Amino acid sequence: MLEGLVSPESLSLSYADMSVPERLKWLQQHQQQEVLSQSNNDSPELLQILQFYGSNNDELLQSTFSHFQMLGANYNMGFGPSHEAMDGCISRTGSCQIDPADTMGVMLKNSEENRAISFKTKRKSEVKTREQEKTEKKIKVEAETESNMKGKSNMSNKEASSDTLKETSKGASEIQKLDYIHVRARRGQATDRHSLAERARREKISKKMKYLQDLVPGCNQVTGKAGTLDEIINYVQSLQRQVEFLSMKLAVLNPELDLSVEDLSVKQFQAYSSNLPVIVASKPLIMVDVPLFPLDQQGSLDLSVINLNQTTTIEAVRFYHSENFSDYSKFLLLVWEVTCLLYLFASAIYKLGNSVT
Amino acid sequence: MERQIISKKKQVFSVEPTKLSPSEVFTRKYTSHLVPALKKLNMDKNSSQINQVTVKHEVDMALALSAQEFAWGRFLLQKLSSADSKSSSSNQTQILERSNDEDGEIEEKMKELQELLPGGKEMNVEEMLSEIGNYIKYLELQTSALKTIVQDTT
Repeated sequence: MLEGLVSPESLSLSYADMSVPERLKWLQQHQQQEVLSQSNNDSPELLQILQFYGSNNDELLQSTFSHFQMLGANYNMGFGPSHEAMDGCISRTGSCQIDPADTMGVMLKNSEENRAISFKTKRKSEVKTREQEKTEKKIKVEAETESNMKGKSNMSNKEASSDTLKETSKGASEIQKLDYIHVRARRGQATDRHSLAERARREKISKKMKYLQDLVPGCNQVTGKAGTLDEIINYVQSLQRQVEFLSMKLAVLNPELDLSVEDLSVKQFQAYSSNLPVIVASKPLIMVDVPLFPLDQQGSLDLSVINLNQTTTIEAVRFYHSENFSDYSKFLLLVWEVTCLLYLFASAIYKLGNSVT
Repeated sequence: MERQIISKKKQVFSVEPTKLSPSEVFTRKYTSHLVPALKKLNMDKNSSQINQVTVKHEVDMALALSAQEFAWGRFLLQKLSSADSKSSSSNQTQILERSNDEDGEIEEKMKELQELLPGGKEMNVEEMLSEIGNYIKYLELQTSALKTIVQDTT
């Protein structure tokens, strides 16, 4: 169900060092290893932080203090510009909690810790601009799932952070910074295990891209993921357009379909019969058909109208029509011929009727 | 003589249809779904116009029925049987805003691909890439089958 969290839009091949399920597993393990202890020093900072979050977070404020000590589980955090998305995300991720902790409290605690820990990682300058871009581009849900994961990972590395918290607890830009901080800290938390998993995932994807390159004509000249993806998109679109066009043509030509049925089936089964000496139909009818059928004129063509399965029996039967048969089989032969003749007549009359109109 | 016949019968049955390649199997299934449906359409609406939308619906339905082993086939069938035929015929692509960043571009394209593939929005990236592969293949088979049908009438 966590896969549901990672909606297709939220997945990106670029900035995610680890996929959400991988991260969760990692976090789970860390959760077991480390005991989370909340110092009381955090509460005043938390209050300050809480003040700036708008009315949406009032509930958070109330519930946080009571649940402040609770071990956090993963939860979505909506910060800054994503309040409305946050509400949406709460509902989305509510079912995916690892721990049944109070979500509000966890949420705030995660956020607070994120901020704390993120300042410790001293990569502000390098990563900041990139994170800015990323947070601007990505869907809010993405950022939140990211920060969610990050929050969990940050908790494991938490140290005393009261000073840093105070620094960032004021200002409207804080909210946006928090987004960057989340992403940044998450990136800082990537372990080798995660990068290995990510590498494996990327390899899988590149394998599939290569396979698609072989499939789509003209894809070999283009290099890079974007180019091949472009080509694939164009190709799929053109195929779909072709299907539409052909179906339109078919709609126009539909009255003449009877002929096409025969030809199509005959062509198909000629192709099949070239590959196989005898073609097997799935019907038990073949048991009667085998010893018979001297009616090997154009009757085989017309009889393809009966149904496509039966044509195979006819093809098969044509191989044996020269055999000498016993009386019983001759009787069967007769019966079969009669029924086929009757059908032939009926279909011929039908066709005549159609051609007249 | 009867023994010969019996042995012939056995011989007939000994050749299994498993020798058929998946593309042949698909083409056969597809035509066996589509052609009777078209005939039925033809017979039902002898005098009236045959709606292009209904034909497209039948075409899509035949594809979906013949490709049940794939997620996109099942999804397509579900979509066709629940929704009306109007929704199935729109294959327009959305012009998404392209960001300059390379990673964003790739993501945008992945999203586009997902929109093209029936049921693609519910899949994750890896799944979608493999499904796209066989979707392309079966689309090609479908076009060749349709071409054969259409060409034979003209």
